[in-house]
Amino acid sequence: MEKKECIRQLLEEALPLVDFDSDFLFSELDSLGVTTILMLLSEKYNIKLESTDATPKNFKTLDSIVNMVERKLVEG
Amino acid sequence: MTLEDYLRQNAKQWPDKAAVICGDQQCTYAELDQRVDERAKTLHAECGQIVCLRAICSIDFLITYFALHRLGAIVAPLERDMPEETFNQISAELKKQNCPDDIADVLYTTGTTGQSKGVMISHSTIVADAENLIDGQGFSHELVFVINGPLNHIGSLSKVYPVILLGGTIIMVDGLKDLNNFFKAFDYPASRMATFLVPASIRIIIQLAAERLSSLSDKIEFIETGAAAISQADMKSLCQLLPNTRLYNTYASTETGIISTYNYNDGKCVAGCLGKPMKNSQIVITEEGLIACKGKTLMSGYVGDSKKTAAILSDGVVYTSDLGMIDECGMLHLTGRKGDVINVGGFKVAPTEVEDAALSFPDIQDCVCISVDHVITGKALKLMVVMKDSKELNRKALALYLKSKLEAYKVPLIYEITDKIERTFNGKINRKYYINSGHSDCS
Repeated sequence: MEKKECIRQLLEEALPLVDFDSDFLFSELDSLGVTTILMLLSEKYNIKLESTDATPKNFKTLDSIVNMVERKLVEG
Repeated sequence: MTLEDYLRQNAKQWPDKAAVICGDQQCTYAELDQRVDERAKTLHAECGQIVCLRAICSIDFLITYFALHRLGAIVAPLERDMPEETFNQISAELKKQNCPDDIADVLYTTGTTGQSKGVMISHSTIVADAENLIDGQGFSHELVFVINGPLNHIGSLSKVYPVILLGGTIIMVDGLKDLNNFFKAFDYPASRMATFLVPASIRIIIQLAAERLSSLSDKIEFIETGAAAISQADMKSLCQLLPNTRLYNTYASTETGIISTYNYNDGKCVAGCLGKPMKNSQIVITEEGLIACKGKTLMSGYVGDSKKTAAILSDGVVYTSDLGMIDECGMLHLTGRKGDVINVGGFKVAPTEVEDAALSFPDIQDCVCISVDHVITGKALKLMVVMKDSKELNRKALALYLKSKLEAYKVPLIYEITDKIERTFNGKINRKYYINSGHSDCS
C-alpha cells in the first residue's frame, strides 16, 4: 500500500472523529489527537517525533503529515 | 469580599501589573477592571439571572465572566464545543430556575447517575477555594500561572480565583495541542511560574517534551494535577524531570470544591495520596468507606433539583462516590470509586449517556460503552455494538453521529461488533460482567 494510504488507515483507526481529508487538519485535532499521531508514527516508522514537530504547518493536511514522516526517514 | 472586589482593589493597588495574557493580547489590572465595568454596561443581565457562556480561551471570556458577576448575574460556563442544540436546551432550562442569593456560577458536571447536573457555586465558595490554594500550594502575588485547560471545569477555573485575589498574573494557553505554544508561555520574564495539568497532559509532555520540561526546572515553582488518577510511573518521571518543583496531587470536585493536596515530590511519591485537608476544609470517611467533605468550599446544591441535592448534601456535608481512607498522619488516600462513571483524561463520562445516543443510530440494536486502557488518557471509551440483521457498521459515521449529539470527549475511540450485550435478570446492562471478563478494566 502507498505510504499515504497506510498512514491514513493507521490514523483513522485511532482517531475516528477526525476528517483526514481536511485542508485544516490541525484545527480539527485536539492535544490527544496530535499526541496520538506523533506516537503512532514514531512507532510505525521508527522515527523520532517530538513536541517541536507538532506545528500547525506539519499538521495542516494529511499530505503534510506524510511529508513530515518522509523528511524524518531521510534524516534518519 | 467577592473575587470581583479583589479585582477592583488590585486595580487600585497595582494598576500596571499584568493581570491576564492570552496570545499577543495583554491586560493590566487597571485595564481589566475598567473593561469589566464597560462590559457590564452593555450586558443587560439582571441580578440573579443565569447566563450561559461558551468557555472560550480568551481574555474576553474572563471580562464577560467578571462583568456578569458585577451585575449580580450568575454565570454558567459551558463546554465550548457543546452542540448548539444542547447549549440552547441548557440555556432555556436555566432561564426557569431561581438560585439562592450569593450564587456566582453554575458549573456542569457528570455525576454517578450520568445526567449532567448544574452545580451552584457561591461567591464565598470561590474565595474559600482561593484561600485553600493560596495556603495549601503557595500561590503568591509574584506568581505567573499558566492556565491551559477548559474554563468551564473547576480544575482550570479555580486557578483564576487565587491569582486574581492576590494580584498575580494569568497566562491563558489554548490547550496542549500546540505544545510549542504551551512552552512559549514559560518564556515570560518571571522567576516564579506554575501550571495545572490533568494526568493525560502530563503523559503527553513526558512522551513528547520531557527534555523541554526539564529545562524549565528552576522556573516552574509548582505543577498541580487532579481530576483523574495519575500513574505512579508518571509521578516518578515528573519528580526526576523537575527535582526542585513542588508537584501537587489534589482532591477536588465541583461539588466539594478544593479539599486537599499532596506534594508528591517529597522523596516518597505515594500514588493515590491526596494529602491533608486545606484550611477551609475537613474530610471524614463514612462507614461505607466513602469520602465526605465539610467546610466553606462546598457547593450550594444542584440548580433546580432539591432531590438530587439532598442525595449528596445534608447538614453541611457533601457525600462523594469516592472510596478513600485517612492514614495515621491525617493524609487522604483515594482507593476507588463507586458507580459506573468512566474517567477519560479528567472528563467524567456516564456510559448510559453514550449508549442512549448510540441506540438512536440506524441499525444499532444494542450496545454497551465500556472503558479500556489508553496510553495517554489512562482510560478510553469503547463501544461494543450489536447490529440489526447483521448489518455492517460504518464506524466513522457512528462516531460523527455521536459527536453531533455529545461533547467530543464522550465519543468512543474504539468500536467493536458483538453478538449480544450481557444483561442482568431485570434487563439492565451487566456492567460487572464487562469489568470482570476482561472486556473492560474499569475499576
